Amino acid sequence: MLELKPMLSALWRNKISAMLIALQLALTLAIVSNASIIVQDRIEKMARPTGMPVEDLIAVTFQPIAQDYDMHGAVLADLDLLRSIPGVVDATHTNQIPVSGSGSASVFHNQPNQEIGGEVSNYYETGPHFIQTLGMNLVAGRNFTPADMQVVQPNEDSRTRVAIITRQMADALYPDGNALGKSFYNSNGTDPVEIVGIVERHLGAWVSWSKAGNVIFFPRLVETNFKRYMVRAEPGRRDEVLKAVEKQLAERDPQRVMHIETLAERLERSYMSDNVMVKVLSAVVTLLTFIVALGIVGLTVFWINQRRKQIGVRRALGATRLNISRYFLVENTLIAITGVALGMAGAQIANHFMVSSYSQPALSLPVLLVCALILVSVSLAAALVPALRAANISPATATRSV
Amino acid sequence: MLKMHNIRKSYRTDTIETHALRDFSLEVNEGEFVSVTGPSGSGKTTFLNIAGMLETPTGGEYLLDGDNVSHLNDRQRSRLRNEKIGFIFQGFNLIPDLNLFDNIDVPLRYRGFNSKERRRRIEKVLEQVGLSARAKHLPSQLSGGQQQRVAIARALAGEPRFLLADEPTGNLDSLMARQVMELLEFINEWGTTIVMVTHDPDLARRAHRNIQIVDGQVSDLQRAVAAAEAATA
Ligand SMILES: Nc1ncnc2c1ncn2[C@@H]1O[C@H](COP(=O)(O)OP(=O)(O)O)[C@@H](O)[C@H]1O
Ligand SMILES: [Mg+2]
Repeated sequence: MLELKPMLSALWRNKISAMLIALQLALTLAIVSNASIIVQDRIEKMARPTGMPVEDLIAVTFQPIAQDYDMHGAVLADLDLLRSIPGVVDATHTNQIPVSGSGSASVFHNQPNQEIGGEVSNYYETGPHFIQTLGMNLVAGRNFTPADMQVVQPNEDSRTRVAIITRQMADALYPDGNALGKSFYNSNGTDPVEIVGIVERHLGAWVSWSKAGNVIFFPRLVETNFKRYMVRAEPGRRDEVLKAVEKQLAERDPQRVMHIETLAERLERSYMSDNVMVKVLSAVVTLLTFIVALGIVGLTVFWINQRRKQIGVRRALGATRLNISRYFLVENTLIAITGVALGMAGAQIANHFMVSSYSQPALSLPVLLVCALILVSVSLAAALVPALRAANISPATATRSV
Repeated sequence: MLKMHNIRKSYRTDTIETHALRDFSLEVNEGEFVSVTGPSGSGKTTFLNIAGMLETPTGGEYLLDGDNVSHLNDRQRSRLRNEKIGFIFQGFNLIPDLNLFDNIDVPLRYRGFNSKERRRRIEKVLEQVGLSARAKHLPSQLSGGQQQRVAIARALAGEPRFLLADEPTGNLDSLMARQVMELLEFINEWGTTIVMVTHDPDLARRAHRNIQIVDGQVSDLQRAVAAAEAATA
């Protein structure tokens, strides 16, 4: 028998301290559950597939010093050189480096002469080697051919006739499917661009973009005054390849400024704020839980000391050690459940605010319940040692102490 | 009912060892009302604690109802305390957060009675001590004499055969002390064996038998008298 009724009336007479602990638990639950879903959301975000073998990729950016530089010629020579380096799977030119945080985007339509609506998409200008280099999976259609390539000056109006797009973008343009072979248009545009291929996925330039994954690739080389390459190494050979790439590109043409880094570094930098958020929030959650546990240990010890005499009397009247420990554990559970119930309401209110004002993820019931369960367990664990020690109070306390 | 033979109890602190009881032997028969007197620190409370299994003796033999209780574990001792023994303390020792009803309920819950049985017993003993109307009051709302009557009711509710009282009137004025004493006598008449420690010689005399403890032992004088009585008998 759990003697709930007398326990509740005894608690009621000590309601201030009990309520303080319950409120502390409630507040902790509200914070912990909301922090947990943000952490969970960020972890899931960072775990999303990029569509690329990120660990094997190297990004190169260079800018020639000379003014009248033959960019097209340099790109062809560089790519030939890169592909000949041992350990290199393939290399491609590109106008932007994936997942780097910088890129281009525009709105595209599935019909000509459209001004409103459409679908915004990240886009790349690259060549026939990009699928192989970025390790992407072509799920429909064909790759670019050399004949698709357009080499244009920066101000030249280029008419690219074909594109490869991600499946996500294909579904956005043509929700009924069958995007392959269909065309899309620029805003107000009349020139169709045919979708000749669809790749399974590509995260694109901005990892935090709500439309990340909407990506279009054009077979185009614009002769800007700087260029970028992506180089893919065989698994495990990236660092060795990176050194060779650096050395050989410099040897081939020393008259340029070059920056080489791994794509993994770029990706890590792109996820830096998410990573910091996860670490800070995890620390906050741990610390808060620890503090609330300390508070419970403190209160339980205090209450037990306050009731030493009463414990001795209960023992004298026939309570076993188990009866005594259980009393304090049940009492603790009652407080914890009250706190957690308040906290669940508080968490929902806080989350409502977080969703509407900071567009944070919505709190799901399972997460809330798991957090509540963890807090009740922490509370029980915190009370366990004091409660077990309370059972050691001698029955003689009833007659000895005043 | 109670039989102690050569009981020893010593308390050891870092520096000193106190022999609270030394070769303490005593027998109390079923239905007796025994008063225990003696100077302060002589070992009276120690004796009651051992008799009530609140403490274990350092040595010697203690038989309760013919059973040696020295080797029982905590659960068995708790059970015996709950079923056979009622305690009354000098400081009443009611639980301050519980009303009278719930206070009397405490040992009955440990006993495992159902709520109907508990209510029946609580109402009965509250009536016996004349406090039925106060069942929902807190101990702090009662006078000392009333609190002690509640404590007696709590001790009686489990219908123990053996009532142990440690200076039950020590905190009461003489009028209230007399009322409590009358209540104890009444209880004893209904068959409950009582051992009562007291400082009050008048109360001590009202018991069937008085035992004097001096320096951890039943006083020599009493043993001599007992021996003499045995010889003339
Ligand atoms: N827990 C204890 N630790 C050390 N000494 C104790 C303890 N309890 C009692 N004593 C000592 O044992 C002796 C007997 O105490 P007690 O039985 O309480 O005497 P009385 O009840 O006759 O006044 C005293 O000297 C007392 O100081
Ligand atoms: Mg004493």
